[in-house]
Amino acid sequence: MSTPLLEVEGLVKHFASGGVLRRAAPAVRAVDGVTFTIAPGETLGLVGESGSGKTTVGRTILRLETPTAGIVRFEGVDLSTLTAPALRAMRRRMQLVAQDPFGSLNPRHTIEASIAEGLLIHQITERVALRERVAALLQEVGLDASYASRYPHEFSGGQRQRIGIARALAVEPRFLVCDEPVSALDVSVQAQVLNLLMDLREQRGLSYLFIAHDLAVVRQVAHRIAVMYLGTIVEIGPARTLIATPRHPYTQALISAIPDPARRRQRIVLTGEPPSPTAPLPGCPFAPRCFHPARDSRCTNERPALRSADGHGVACHYAE
Amino acid sequence: MTGTLRAGLVLGGGLVLLAIVGPWIAPDPLAQPDLITGTLQSPSATHWFGTDQYSRDVFARLAAGARASLGIAVGAVVVATLLGTLVGLIAGGARGAAAEALRRAIDLLLGLPRLVVLLVLLAAVGPLTPLSLALVLGATGWPAIARLVRGETLRLRETGFVGAARALGASPLRILRRDILPGAMAPALVAATLGIADAILLEAGLSFIGLGIQPPAPTWGGMILEARDHIASAPWLLLAPGLALVVATTAATLIGDALRHRLLPGTR
Repeated sequence: MSTPLLEVEGLVKHFASGGVLRRAAPAVRAVDGVTFTIAPGETLGLVGESGSGKTTVGRTILRLETPTAGIVRFEGVDLSTLTAPALRAMRRRMQLVAQDPFGSLNPRHTIEASIAEGLLIHQITERVALRERVAALLQEVGLDASYASRYPHEFSGGQRQRIGIARALAVEPRFLVCDEPVSALDVSVQAQVLNLLMDLREQRGLSYLFIAHDLAVVRQVAHRIAVMYLGTIVEIGPARTLIATPRHPYTQALISAIPDPARRRQRIVLTGEPPSPTAPLPGCPFAPRCFHPARDSRCTNERPALRSADGHGVACHYAE
Repeated sequence: MTGTLRAGLVLGGGLVLLAIVGPWIAPDPLAQPDLITGTLQSPSATHWFGTDQYSRDVFARLAAGARASLGIAVGAVVVATLLGTLVGLIAGGARGAAAEALRRAIDLLLGLPRLVVLLVLLAAVGPLTPLSLALVLGATGWPAIARLVRGETLRLRETGFVGAARALGASPLRILRRDILPGAMAPALVAATLGIADAILLEAGLSFIGLGIQPPAPTWGGMILEARDHIASAPWLLLAPGLALVVATTAATLIGDALRHRLLPGTR
């Protein structure tokens, strides 16, 4: 295997609350020790329910949040060692496609101004050639070049998401964090945007961290899938094997929720809520909701480590 | 253009016109032509709004007062808006103890009664010129704007497009200039326009209690003060500056409301 493009090691992000005059509440452990790598050209799907910390993983990798602990290496460079200007220069190489197509474009800027922002910041394109470059980017994401002079409110969610993708592509990144890029869109539009992302990956040799809560979406684009639960990765492996033979009970529950006309699967319905991210349990975070027949006191007392075999890792004491 | 904006512009424009052309169409507002028989004359063709107890032309004093009152009010609001926007951006953009301290300071200043602060400041400043009065009024008016701008800055800072700009590598100053300032200015401009009405009334109030621009220089508040003893015999002395105040504050409020509808759709 070639050297990874992105290496994430023991990433931790806690959000402290409270201020100067307020009593400090216990920190929210949004990400609690996450490790994975992404190879050049590879797409890692990151799935998990709301609050599992998957968005925070993406934002922390991009340094939109400062990690509490852990290392993020991009192209072999530890991002925490970079000075602020060096980090801003590095941002050319890694970009964000955000979930909310309505909030992610400044309503006061034309589409051209939004897309050209990165070109201007990194002085990639001469000012005289800006218009042409923006037009080419719009066409690359399947939009008409004449849209450049319009404002965001004139566009649909799918079109805005394409504009957001064009803005990210403008600086010619190698790696995109796609944070739920289609979950705000209608199903018919979802497929179009997914296809666009897959075409761009092909044409530009991009790598993605593809964050979503919907396994059915992730399995269409991801080469490998990581499943997050309460700030940790409970299972990670090649998309095909993970979907076909999920080893962690939580993954099994997620997969049983995907409708499959060919096979009628027994739907596993989880009961209860995930435990509070402010008061971590000593044992397995999934133990309170687990349905595994072998579960016992070890699950509630000892946190299972991620055990790997053949590139398929699972954090469960009793996974077969 | 909406009816609200048109009405506001007509009223406000009329007063501004009066302030500008006053010196050409009205006599000298300080002249006392006839202290024996020319005092307290009722409105006539020669003295449109009558004369006061010193035989001065009330229309001329009204026009000169418009110049002083409007100039001071607009100057005060400009000072308050610039200061308030600057402090609000810093308070909203900074993090940690400094931002917290700034927020507390704004809240503290907002909690002090403005008139009391003004009395202290005016006592400290000494003899007033229209410019120094505008500066003093502006210096007490900025915390309200600062709080607005701070809140808007905090809101905008969490938006997706600011996140995208950071991810693109925009420097904090660039984000402040391109993404936050234009958005935060909209409520500040609306508040500033509405604040002109407050400033006009405050300046008139200060002149009325004798703390504003000193006589014989004409101001609307000063004219009301001087009219007190002749309310029954010469009501035009009170009516002229009183109506001018009503028209000016109404105009500022109407324009401010129209601006709000334009710049901040969805608010009432």
